[in-house]
Amino acid sequence: MSNQAPSAARGPSADNATFEPRIVAFVCNWCTYTGADLAGTSRIQMASNVRILRLPCTGRIDPLFVMKAFERGADGIIVSGCHPGDCHYIVGNFHARRRFRVFRELLDFLGVDPERITFSWVSASEGGKWAQVVNDTTRRIREMGPMESWPRASTALDDDLHG
Amino acid sequence: MQTRSIKTKELSALLDQLRAAGVEIIAPARAPGVGRAVVYRRVSGFSDIIMGVQPRGTLKEHFLPASERILGWRRGGAHLELLEASTDCAPRIVLGAFPCDAAALEVVDAVMGWDYRDEFWFNRRQATIVVSIACDGGDESCFCHAVGLSPGSTRGADLMFVPVDGGFQVEVTTGRGQAWLEEHQEYFSEAGDSTQAVAFQERATTRSSQRPRPHMESIGRWLKNNFQHDYWDQLALRCHGCGACTMVCPTCHCFDLVDEPEGPEGGSRRRNWDTCQAATFTLHASGHNPRPGQGARYRQRILHKFSIYPARFHELLCTGCGRCSRVCSSGMDMLELLGEIHDMASITEPTTSPEARNEP
Amino acid sequence: MKELQDLARRLLLEGRVDIVIGYQQGPRGVRPSFVTRPEQADALIFDERCVHNLVTYLSPRRAHLAAWPRRAVVVKGCDTRAVAVLLRESHIDREDIVLIGLRCGGVHRSAEASGPLTAESVAFRCADCSIREPELVDHLLGDPRPAPPGNSRLAERIGQLESMSHEQRREFWNNEFSRCIRCHACRQVCPMCYCERCIADKTRPRWIESSAHLRGNTAWNMIRAMHLAGRCVGCGECGRACPVGIPLGLLNRKLAMVVDEHFDYRATDDPEVPGPLGSFRSDDAEEFIV
Repeated sequence: MSNQAPSAARGPSADNATFEPRIVAFVCNWCTYTGADLAGTSRIQMASNVRILRLPCTGRIDPLFVMKAFERGADGIIVSGCHPGDCHYIVGNFHARRRFRVFRELLDFLGVDPERITFSWVSASEGGKWAQVVNDTTRRIREMGPMESWPRASTALDDDLHG
Repeated sequence: MQTRSIKTKELSALLDQLRAAGVEIIAPARAPGVGRAVVYRRVSGFSDIIMGVQPRGTLKEHFLPASERILGWRRGGAHLELLEASTDCAPRIVLGAFPCDAAALEVVDAVMGWDYRDEFWFNRRQATIVVSIACDGGDESCFCHAVGLSPGSTRGADLMFVPVDGGFQVEVTTGRGQAWLEEHQEYFSEAGDSTQAVAFQERATTRSSQRPRPHMESIGRWLKNNFQHDYWDQLALRCHGCGACTMVCPTCHCFDLVDEPEGPEGGSRRRNWDTCQAATFTLHASGHNPRPGQGARYRQRILHKFSIYPARFHELLCTGCGRCSRVCSSGMDMLELLGEIHDMASITEPTTSPEARNEP
Repeated sequence: MKELQDLARRLLLEGRVDIVIGYQQGPRGVRPSFVTRPEQADALIFDERCVHNLVTYLSPRRAHLAAWPRRAVVVKGCDTRAVAVLLRESHIDREDIVLIGLRCGGVHRSAEASGPLTAESVAFRCADCSIREPELVDHLLGDPRPAPPGNSRLAERIGQLESMSHEQRREFWNNEFSRCIRCHACRQVCPMCYCERCIADKTRPRWIESSAHLRGNTAWNMIRAMHLAGRCVGCGECGRACPVGIPLGLLNRKLAMVVDEHFDYRATDDPEVPGPLGSFRSDDAEEFIV
């Protein structure tokens, strides 16, 4: 796996000092992705725990993506796009804002701490803000520890639910 | 085969001893969670068990689980390692199986050992002693008497318990049951007076035989000749195609095989329950579906039970437990349906009069 | 009863509709009835056991009903809210359907119930229902009915869950979801689940694993709740159909509370009101966004 977090100490036994969270960022093509690119070209130092997935718009970010990421081992999620009023598709981020409000409440009700997800507005010129979102999220997830409340891919092997 | 008896206290002690010896006990008990329905599940002792209530779930899930891993794979460098799932089964006892559920195990044996011997199924079968409990006659959805069984049927059971004051009368029905009883004979006593047990079974038989008795042979013939019939589409109008009837059926055994990657390093092949009531059951990759509507799908379920399975294995794929009718949220009713087909068959086959349905 | 039967007969005789979907007595309680010939209309009934939401039979997914394109359907006040969602989302044409509204004073949770409605037996959805007289209808029948006995069990249970820790809630739902056998009965009976091809049936890629393990079950139950957020009319048919008794109504009700609190939306019989997740306000609160 080429994009594995560097020497990640994982599993419930990992203490939070050595635990390297895996964070998946779903970002929009027009603002946040460009902002993240700016952070890189500006050589801003930031945590290397975040893997970016670029989508056309936050309006295209289905909660299903977040669920799948958790299922496959993510400890934290970033969803980020254009500031309200700046959406390339005019209204995509307004819809995303409502959708993620509901999704966070659903996670909370099902017993998954919604603080596992960061939702941010990062524009194409906000390279510094992107670095801060990445660093803040990494720090927070590191404090929370590995995601243990989600049934992970590796945990289904020996289950016998209907016994 | 002999008849013995067991006191409730002795049964409780026997279960404790079995547990201590590592035997898994499966019995009707309340499921965890909000619904608290009675299901067959692993129990830790006699106090968990609710004897004499037909569980909402079926016994089959302990022989054919809703989902089970049958193969795994792991990537090791350039090659792929295949991991066989174990088909071993630790010794188990099912206590308090309803006669219709015990019989279903034997019915399904036929297809599980037909062209391919299913080791998962048969190893579990061989590891399990089935102790059934005589039924009190069931409710208005039951029709075991129409499919060749009865509230006191011992088919598929190694021993059968009949409730009497303070315990159970025990009927031994197989050599395996006999051997098992002898192994634990200190817990059993002499049969004694059988008046109570006989009265229980007579009451049960009277209750069940009052319900309609559709004639299964003529229904089978009608099904064979009426694949194309308006009845099917009319019948299926209220059907949601949810398949709950097949899920709770003790004899429905169709499954799907899926490969599930579990990260980049490996994954599992799993066997999952499937249902002929779902459109995806027969959906082709081309988009064509040979069973395009609910009428065709409902017909398949009825045909499989009362025509196809009997033609191949010489018995009905139904033990009359009535769960399909009880679980249906839109009120489809198996006994009603069989009665309707019986009536249609009587018109084409005058030898079977509609009145015959009510004759014991 | 007679006015319902007469109306059904007339609609069929005059050729206004091809089928009348209502309620009849079945072997086990009340069940849906499909009347295609005038002489069958006498089977139609309406009482406190008519718990089913028949609007689900208007869903375009039901291919086997396509032979009867012009349908009349018997609706209670709560059911008309499902009609409104189907209209709002352009899945039915108002001209194609005849809505026969019945005045309703609440229904039992079970179609097999007997006796008068009590706080114990009344369906959860009737607890806060104020529609005694459906409005989105072509015909309004029945005598005026009193309000049903109150019942706050669903709200109480949600309150209990909300007062728990994340770990306790996770344990509660793991317990429930682990019983799921993935029959998808909840979806099949749902009037709002009209997709020709459900996300749970898609295999390229397989988003929702079909296996009945906790991982697949969690994904399924979560996405089902999400897809119904702001669309669910709270009819409770999912929970009634579930063969293993998972309290699905709790999830739907919780999300209904969320869209009410944040977007001021409640299920309505007005098809002109936009759905809360298909609309937005530019000043929606965003305190959770960095």
